[in-house]
Amino acid sequence: MTLLDISELTLDLPNGKRLLDGISLTVAEGETVGLVGESGSGKSLTARSVLGLLPSRATMGGSVQLLDQSVLDASRSELLALRRTRASMIFQDPRAGINPMRTVGDHLTETMRLCEGRSAADAKAVAISLMEAVRLPRPEEHMNQYPHELSGGMLQRVMIAGALTSSPRLLICDEPTTALDVTTQAEIIGVLAEQRASRGMGMLFITHDLNLAASICDRVYVMSAGRVEEQGDARQVFSNPQAAYTKRLVAATPTIVVARDSAATADQGADASATTSDAVPSTADAAASASASATPAPVEAMLSASGISKTYVRRGKEPVRAVIDASIEIPRGGALGVVGESGSGKSTFARMIVGLEQADTGDIRIAGRERTSVPSSRVERLEHARSVQMVFQDPYLSLDPRITAGKAIEDAMRLHRNLSTTDARARVIELLEQVGLGDVHAQARPRTLSGGQRQRVAIARALAIEPDVLVMDEATSALDVSVQAQVLSLVEEIRRERGLTVLFISHDLAVVRRLCDETVVMKTGEIVERGRTIELLGNPQHPYTRLLIDSVPRPEWNLEAVAAEASELEDPVAQN
Amino acid sequence: MTTPTMAMKVLRAPRVRRSSTTFLISAVFLGVVTLAAIFAPLIAPYPPNQVDLLNIQAGPSPAHWLGTDALGRDTLSRMMFGARTALLAPLLVVVFSTIVGILLGLLAGWRGGWIDSVLGRIFDVIFAFPALLLAIMAVALFGKGLVAPVVAMSIAYAPFVARLTRSLIASERSRPYVAAYRVQGFGGGFIALRRVLPNVMPIVGAQSTLNFGYVLAELAALSFLGLGVQAPTADWGAMVNEAQAGLIGGYFLPALVPAVAIVLVVVAVNVIGEELSDRIGGEIPA
Repeated sequence: MTLLDISELTLDLPNGKRLLDGISLTVAEGETVGLVGESGSGKSLTARSVLGLLPSRATMGGSVQLLDQSVLDASRSELLALRRTRASMIFQDPRAGINPMRTVGDHLTETMRLCEGRSAADAKAVAISLMEAVRLPRPEEHMNQYPHELSGGMLQRVMIAGALTSSPRLLICDEPTTALDVTTQAEIIGVLAEQRASRGMGMLFITHDLNLAASICDRVYVMSAGRVEEQGDARQVFSNPQAAYTKRLVAATPTIVVARDSAATADQGADASATTSDAVPSTADAAASASASATPAPVEAMLSASGISKTYVRRGKEPVRAVIDASIEIPRGGALGVVGESGSGKSTFARMIVGLEQADTGDIRIAGRERTSVPSSRVERLEHARSVQMVFQDPYLSLDPRITAGKAIEDAMRLHRNLSTTDARARVIELLEQVGLGDVHAQARPRTLSGGQRQRVAIARALAIEPDVLVMDEATSALDVSVQAQVLSLVEEIRRERGLTVLFISHDLAVVRRLCDETVVMKTGEIVERGRTIELLGNPQHPYTRLLIDSVPRPEWNLEAVAAEASELEDPVAQN
Repeated sequence: MTTPTMAMKVLRAPRVRRSSTTFLISAVFLGVVTLAAIFAPLIAPYPPNQVDLLNIQAGPSPAHWLGTDALGRDTLSRMMFGARTALLAPLLVVVFSTIVGILLGLLAGWRGGWIDSVLGRIFDVIFAFPALLLAIMAVALFGKGLVAPVVAMSIAYAPFVARLTRSLIASERSRPYVAAYRVQGFGGGFIALRRVLPNVMPIVGAQSTLNFGYVLAELAALSFLGLGVQAPTADWGAMVNEAQAGLIGGYFLPALVPAVAIVLVVVAVNVIGEELSDRIGGEIPA
């Protein structure tokens, strides 16, 4: 039976902009349908139209039928009834979607008491059984807890339980795991799949992650710029895309699956004992690596950090050990990936290396010079800046909104070298061209640039200083996959041309695989495994590394195995 | 780790960018008043203090558009000259309080720590005194006239600007672009003064514009009390004071004209200040 039938849906804004252009899709009972696309593709808007959550003053066309009731011309009370009984929605950020001043119990029982007229005790019993269903560890206790006491993963479970209180026939999930770590994502997806199966609901699953869509959806619709580009069987669409847009998207999506295959073949030749969890990667090893960048054999470590620790002392609370005795070494021209989930201390580690935070203990050397202490003079400060530069996660925040792209680069350049205005301008254009922008962008303020363009400006700004080491802290995480692919190839190219040494911090194994010769895995402040990226992915030694790798969604994804692995490592729910 | 999505932004109806009519009227009105004040000696029909005892308490006429006061002085001319002190004094207060407030706010917000705490307590103490009371105390100590009240009001209003600047700077300081400047090797002073401060200036400027209206009203009150501008100098507040006696005799105009002018200017300034802060999108704490 068809639950949801959208046909030829259009949405126009009063200013004449068409955001949705002839969307048609169906969701049947018990079916998981994926809606995949990059930001601005209209996927969220399409999903919201199902519940009548539409922009004010927008003009709609076409039809949206939810269980044979038309949504677009439904009255307010009809819409309310639809939302109460037929369809529920789960949003991206659980922390933004739940009232921070009310307890979890209030959140869950409120609709049952007010809309269905259940007694408080009855509602509480239902809420507790729902919390058990979404595998929250201590339902009774959670009833009286506030949102800030729960982790992101647990809160998302609460949101799911809340969406299920009305026993909806259709569950709409709008990027429900995008803000979560991969291991948590695997757990949440597991819960969703289980609930869908046991309740026979239809599920409309919105995501930007092709691999995730391929692994959990029956059918997918690929959207771009308000249009459906391609639709069909989920695996089929990704293994054999037909539309040009889907092909580009699939090609741009980094994957770790290939790594396993190539690692398997590499393993036959390579010494299996090369990857030992505590061995500091030797420079000779890196030079021998086939995938190492095309630089001459490195002679000394460009960046070496040894025994770095950082503890945050908080008033009235337990101190947090953010980084514990971490050591890394990168040869000249090498690229090292640091992989970890949120709270693993990887960003703190990066900030200590660029000098934004001071390490409690340990020693940082860049190009043979000691860079641990705080620069005490202008000269030292500038020397420090020339030794290491950083590209930040969010290009929307790391560029000064008032300063044009060209001026930002020029300022950084002229701070470090005496250049005449004309020389500096020429050099700025040169740099902009190197990162794939042109002199038209020199005059642009950040807000007129797209995310990818901004990140290119940030990279050009870092390169303007000609640093020995470039630290990239989640530098592609805020970008769409196709833009991410462009930025990654840009970084690869710059590495090849300049022999730049890169420290790449990321939560995404696939991205690290693409860029880095060697990788270290961090967990709660400690480096648990290190080695050549291909070997690390193909033959992980530490159970946590194995969990990380298996949590990455892929078409033949075994969620139960991941869950078993997680519980083996430690009680995963207690950790989240 | 989050993917920015346009959907949330789109859901807010796009705002139509258009200057409201009230904003335009207010701007034009303030412009006219300002020009009249600047060119008063050239365009005023009479000298402001020219007494004409044959024409006292006259109603509007072609010779005296807004009538005359108890001494037969032309109200329109006195309004024009009076606008000079009525506008200049608040302007000075706004300029002084903004400069002092920005410097202290920048210091507190950028450095944080004990400097922030000490300055915060000092601001709290100043907040405890109404500005008008400070101005009256200043007059009591240093004598009548405009200088003492202007200094006192500058001190009283500086904490408003300082507190706003402090909170803006403090939130700006934790933004990644500031960290990016640090990594590039820029010094703290450069980042604070040349990069962060200009980013918060529009909001501070809007707050100062609002302050102008409040200060104007309070200084007019001071002159009305006879503590500010002294007779026979023309000033709106003083004019209301001088016209008090006439009110009993039924001569409303000499008091009404400056009073209405004060109200209109304050309203116009508030309209402009609020429109500016709306456009900038910043929240102005009361």
